[in-house]
Amino acid sequence: MRPLIAVVVLSAFATVQAQDKPAAEPPPPWQQGKPAAMSESTLHPFFPHLAGRSVKELPVEKLKVPAGFKVEVWAEGIPEARSLALGDKGTVFVSNRLSKNVYAVVDKGGQREVKTVLKGLNAPNGIVFKNGSLYVAERDRITRYDGIEDRLDNPPEPKVVVDNLDPQKQPGHFWKYLAIGPDGKLYFNIGAPGNIVMPNYMQASIMRVDPATGVLETVALGVRNSVGFDWHPKTKELWFTNHGRDWLGDESPNDTLHRVSKGVPNFGYPFCHQGDTPDPEYGKSRSCKEFTPPALKLGAHIAPLGMRFYNGKMFPAEYRNNIFVAMHGSWNRTTKQGYSLMRVKVDEKGHAKMEPFLTGFLTDEKADPPMWGRPVDVLVMKDGSLLFSDDYNGILYRISYAK
Amino acid sequence: MRRVLRRAAASAVALFVFSSAAWAADVEAGRNKAQVCAACHGPEGNSANPAMPSLAGQPAQAIATQLFQFREGNRKNPQMSPMAANLSNADMNDLAAYFSSVQPTPPKRRAAPQNAAAGQDLTKKFHCVQCHGPALRGQQHIPSLAGQQADYLRAQLEGFKASSRADMDGNMTSVAQELTDKDIDVLVDYIAGLGAQ
Repeated sequence: MRPLIAVVVLSAFATVQAQDKPAAEPPPPWQQGKPAAMSESTLHPFFPHLAGRSVKELPVEKLKVPAGFKVEVWAEGIPEARSLALGDKGTVFVSNRLSKNVYAVVDKGGQREVKTVLKGLNAPNGIVFKNGSLYVAERDRITRYDGIEDRLDNPPEPKVVVDNLDPQKQPGHFWKYLAIGPDGKLYFNIGAPGNIVMPNYMQASIMRVDPATGVLETVALGVRNSVGFDWHPKTKELWFTNHGRDWLGDESPNDTLHRVSKGVPNFGYPFCHQGDTPDPEYGKSRSCKEFTPPALKLGAHIAPLGMRFYNGKMFPAEYRNNIFVAMHGSWNRTTKQGYSLMRVKVDEKGHAKMEPFLTGFLTDEKADPPMWGRPVDVLVMKDGSLLFSDDYNGILYRISYAK
Repeated sequence: MRRVLRRAAASAVALFVFSSAAWAADVEAGRNKAQVCAACHGPEGNSANPAMPSLAGQPAQAIATQLFQFREGNRKNPQMSPMAANLSNADMNDLAAYFSSVQPTPPKRRAAPQNAAAGQDLTKKFHCVQCHGPALRGQQHIPSLAGQQADYLRAQLEGFKASSRADMDGNMTSVAQELTDKDIDVLVDYIAGLGAQ
């Protein structure tokens, strides 16, 4: 008996010793998980021009779309334009992560007017519009603004749908995407609190809340950070984009596109990446077989953000129910890729294939910065044209088709 | 030879990118708009007042980002908030282009000998160099710290520690929580002295 006690006491002592040793300060979230071999790497994220950049100084003529399509600037001067939501009366609402405002773009006979409608919000990245109300997902809560389209100059007070979503003020991926499902529930992500860390029970997930009751449910787990989702118009299945971890090299792991077909799947983070690549640290005692694989690998560090199924009537018939994905573009890669819109064709069995749809932002894959603009979200307009946002410059572009 | 050519081509591209960026916002327009700034920030943005930050040589995006945050009320200061309230986006980009184009002339100040090595260690321990760069000269929206005015640096660090200084992504507030008063003394002395080197 005695030797056992001694062992217990000794190990307790060792634990205390370990805690007494001053720990290294945690690095900023984007540097977290960087291996010693990459300590000299100068790769870094790209920061948007918050005051925007004028179209006049940008090479917009470099943007390329397939034959028959046309791309043009639709509105500018919208700081850090990110998520897009379409009002019943045609107002385009535009969110951001860092500017604390929500903007509205009103089309007045070919002229677009930009208004600041909401101010002082906490990372209001997620927005969605339904039945006259704008819902906003901030860092810590989701709110509702009723009848806002008639009151853009004097918006109503928010009504809280759900609160206390960020009790620990988590670092890392603290911004949220927001969408309304066919079930009328609000779907949102809670990102991982760093590059590669063990999430708590609510983090690295997609959740949903019933706006009528406030009841929360988990939709998917093991999702490092999703900043775009939509439902297949026919199957009604949820599809979403996901960002893989950083600092595993130029080609690994892929960012991914996922499909939720049944139950509450776990897609593997932090144990397994892209369905088949165990994490060097967290994957040691787990198997990728435990987790649901992605529907499609999109490319390493390509940063897929907003995605929508095309349900408009303007584009040729073969585009119907295809997904447009906005690729914000890689930073954690020595040779950059992305900064584009991709077209993903999916069949009803969930098979997916990807091809470029809009390119031209990437000008030099080795330069810093390598691009002059970055797509964030896509939105199908009532006439079937496609809007997309560029947070780097604060610009919205419109893609249309004519035979 | 091939490698040399490739390198030459790369630097030509870099030059082009730089000049097109400078052309984007208007340095001369910025110089005119910046006249009012000199009262506090010094001639050409080189401050001689320990409480006022120098703007000369800052990355353009760092200037524009802070002006934007002041204008939107996300960062508040009794002197700066009213100055920024009526700036247009073009004003902010012009001012940023101008100040970033000016050669900084930091005060001839050196850190106390005991703080020089200790300060450098702290900038590694607290990961300052990860975002502000190995020489603490900033990048993109991250300000240059090297040779910045000491009292200004102290006020920002103490503000981040007290969670009262505006912080977009929480990184500075988070790291400042671990700073002791002594750490702040050493860091301020070390960083403010980097301009003289």
